[in-house]
Amino acid sequence: MATVTFDHATRVYPKADRPAVDALQLDIADGEFLVLVGPSGCGKSTSLRMLAGLEEIDEGKILIGGRDVSEAQPKERDIAMVFQNYALYPHMSVAENMAFALKLAGVGKEERRRRVEDAARILDLGDYLDRRPKALSGGQRQRVAMGRAIVREPQVFLMDEPLSNLDAKLRVQTRTQIASLQRRLGVTTVYVTHDQVEAMTMGDRVAVLKDGVLQQCDTPGTLYERPANAFVAGFIGSPAMNLVTGPVVDGGVRLGGAVLPVPRAQLAAASASSGTVTVGFRPEAVELVGPGDGVPVTVGVVEQLGADAYLYTKLAGGTTEDVLHPSDVVVRTGPRSTPTEGQTLHLRVREGGLHVFDPATQRRVD
Amino acid sequence: MATLALPGADNAPLSTPSDDGSGRRRKGAGGKNTTAGPVTYVLLTLTALVAVFPLYWTVVAGSHTNSEIAATPPPFLPDASLFTNFRLALEQAPIGKAILNSVLVSGAITVGTVFFCTLAGFAFAKLQFRGKGLLLSLVIGTMMVPTQLAVIPLFMMIAELQWVNQLQAVILPTLVSAFGVFFMRQYLVQSLPDELLEAGRVDGASTFRIFWSIVVPVARPAMAVLAMLTFLTAWNEFFWPIIALTTANPTVQVALAGLGSGYVPQQGVIMAGTLLGTLPVLVVFTILGKQIVGGIMQGAVKG
Amino acid sequence: MTIASDAPREALIAAPPPVTAAAPRRRRTRLTRNRWGYAYVAPFFLVFGAFSLYPFLYTAWISLHKTSLSNINGGTWVGLENYRNLLQSEFFWNAARNTLTIGVLSTVPQLCMALGLAHLLNYKLRGRTFFRTVMLMPYATSIAAATLVFAQLFGRDYGLINTALEAVGLDRIDWEAGTLSSQVAIASIVTWRWTGYNALIYLAAMQSIPGELYEAAEIDGASKWQQFVHVTIPSLRPTILFTVVVSTIGAVQLFGEPLLFAGNGTTSGGSSGQYQTLGLLMYQQGWSNFHIGQAATTAWAMFMIILLVVGAYAVIGRLRARGNR
Repeated sequence: MATVTFDHATRVYPKADRPAVDALQLDIADGEFLVLVGPSGCGKSTSLRMLAGLEEIDEGKILIGGRDVSEAQPKERDIAMVFQNYALYPHMSVAENMAFALKLAGVGKEERRRRVEDAARILDLGDYLDRRPKALSGGQRQRVAMGRAIVREPQVFLMDEPLSNLDAKLRVQTRTQIASLQRRLGVTTVYVTHDQVEAMTMGDRVAVLKDGVLQQCDTPGTLYERPANAFVAGFIGSPAMNLVTGPVVDGGVRLGGAVLPVPRAQLAAASASSGTVTVGFRPEAVELVGPGDGVPVTVGVVEQLGADAYLYTKLAGGTTEDVLHPSDVVVRTGPRSTPTEGQTLHLRVREGGLHVFDPATQRRVD
Repeated sequence: MATLALPGADNAPLSTPSDDGSGRRRKGAGGKNTTAGPVTYVLLTLTALVAVFPLYWTVVAGSHTNSEIAATPPPFLPDASLFTNFRLALEQAPIGKAILNSVLVSGAITVGTVFFCTLAGFAFAKLQFRGKGLLLSLVIGTMMVPTQLAVIPLFMMIAELQWVNQLQAVILPTLVSAFGVFFMRQYLVQSLPDELLEAGRVDGASTFRIFWSIVVPVARPAMAVLAMLTFLTAWNEFFWPIIALTTANPTVQVALAGLGSGYVPQQGVIMAGTLLGTLPVLVVFTILGKQIVGGIMQGAVKG
Repeated sequence: MTIASDAPREALIAAPPPVTAAAPRRRRTRLTRNRWGYAYVAPFFLVFGAFSLYPFLYTAWISLHKTSLSNINGGTWVGLENYRNLLQSEFFWNAARNTLTIGVLSTVPQLCMALGLAHLLNYKLRGRTFFRTVMLMPYATSIAAATLVFAQLFGRDYGLINTALEAVGLDRIDWEAGTLSSQVAIASIVTWRWTGYNALIYLAAMQSIPGELYEAAEIDGASKWQQFVHVTIPSLRPTILFTVVVSTIGAVQLFGEPLLFAGNGTTSGGSSGQYQTLGLLMYQQGWSNFHIGQAATTAWAMFMIILLVVGAYAVIGRLRARGNR
């Protein structure tokens, strides 16, 4: 078991004009499950591959268990990796796949068999040990890839989108299994995904990356409750947080034809440079109020999900300078008594449900 | 020379490789796939007859004397005098020795070519090293250079080494092939995912261990194809062996070339000898024909 | 919530802070650069260097000398004289002309027939493996064997073809003696050996054309022939160019067929050199007349011709590609 530290780790691909990973600063505790998440091209996989030793580190360093491994070969790092497409050796049986690394490390035959059988038991692969990967289902292959990592008993597990080749249902099941397995084994794990739901449900902490830059690294709860900037606010949560930018008026921000109240101190701090302010509120942080109160919106599409309903609405009247979703606001309501298309509603943001960002820096303002 | 447009180079439209090597491809990929009409069968059968007839005629002509063959109508069936002619051919030319030599030479060339080309093809497909692109275009460029350009110094070289009439003289220069390197590279670029190599590195394998334990098993179908094509080419190689060897220690092709030069051309004996020299490849071809067809078609799409 | 947000909102975040470019960048290439690459290509380049590259260059050197096979280490420097002599030699021009005509006679019909054959083989066929294998049998037959058989078939006195001609009331032809007849006969050997092979290459390329293209053409009302002309041929263009290049390189080097066609292995290419090719001329100069310098010159001339022709194809291919864009 070990801690992992990214110390200003930077990777610049040859001929690229900006770093793929830019001075990544990250401390991962012993036994922690850390998820790297972000849109494609954000540098999350590159970060993982830098940790694995499959990618150069151009600046900064990476430490595993306090040891600088920046220039170490993958095999010298005591890590195991689960690849997105599993990368199972096609000509080896399941057992041989799992034992390959042990064989290379000179582990004795008996010991190899014991460890493979242990891992197979944990992963419910006992009946498939003699099969070739070709003869396995997608879920079974995924488990073999996990097994190959487990038998190594490494200091760190690295997982690169290990669930993305599974169908939706299996993905949800396996997600839970991996998380509980990791907690049981207590091995430090770095997990890469583009799926924020996966990140939120699995990680002890989640690191959000964008354009090679770490945006925020925190527990799922904190990410959700107190996103550090507008990007994280919009990225975490589904449906995404409503983010609207509008001109500052006395006591709030003008949205459409009405004014959304914002505490004075936040308003002043956020609008200092531009005279506008970005406010964010989640669909579930909205309440409907009577006419004359709150922000008026016109209902567009209504999505019935059974337990909830989502209303896709447009700000009614006036204009805003929102560049993102021109006046789109998503509202969650109960499944019954949903309004119909074209109806006008009035919204209010619940107490504590309002996030304020500076449109110039995109940073959160408290 | 990089301007040489090769199908199957990275920019050409490719189908996914079928790894059974049999030339059977996924259903529906064959363009029209209209069922053939009777005209198609007639035309194909005629073409097949043209393809096979000269070989059949070898058997017929090998069974008869000059005057019998020239008769009107000519004989169209072989008979037992074929075996007499076999004996005469074996007496006139060292065909038995030639076949043994050809097996040795072609076998050695095949083993060497497949091994070295897989090594180099792997390096060109998956390893990063300085000057790789330049070296690869050099490999492709050499495919255009005629054999004639090398034979004079090669002949001087083997004369110097006293290798004239020695089998190594025809083995060594042919031990690698540019086509083979390119063929293996194309196959590995497409069939060997980078992740497999990375998994090997994370598992702690050295580069050679990765080559031996991961690359070679994945490359096996292509290696088999290359082996068959190389063996066939080596067996049929004519120009260099006829310079480097004499009928004292010939390969089959050198022996066949000597067969025709008797002062009384006995067609029957020549044909019987030709048949003897061709028989081994025809047997191999009958057994592995399907695989060779598949290999050539695979090579056409990939290489 | 089980709805994965696969498409996160486009960020309205400001540009990331500029890279701190001041710090010196470490140069680490150990992890992904692999010096083993050289070791793995080394065997190829060692053999290639010793038995191909060095001989190529040495051939160039020899071609600048007057030297003979009996005196391989000596020889006198003559500069470009061998080349001048070659260009003034009627033997060279005769061989070049023969190489060209035999090349055209063998390559053009061969590739056209291969294309047609591939088209036939591309139908849904009973016994298609059988047909494909049979078409490839000539390819498995060696040049020597094929030439000996065809020499028999085309023989003046005992040849089956003349017997057949006579049977239908035509005159016997002395195939070997005539210029055109001997060249046609030699071209037919090449055509016989290579048509099936090229047909399989075309067939493979045809099968990699997506079926949707034909379906789309069919919906657009294209007849089978129009589909062949407007879908198959354009999709096959790179493959056709490839086979043309390969056949051309082969045609320039043509050697075994004319050497063995007369049956007695003479290097003159017929009594009046009526089917002597460049490959044969080079062999004659070097190994019959022992003028190694001249032979080297001819070899380099052959290489130049190949370069010229392939270069011309490449230019044509590029111009066409540009025209289509």
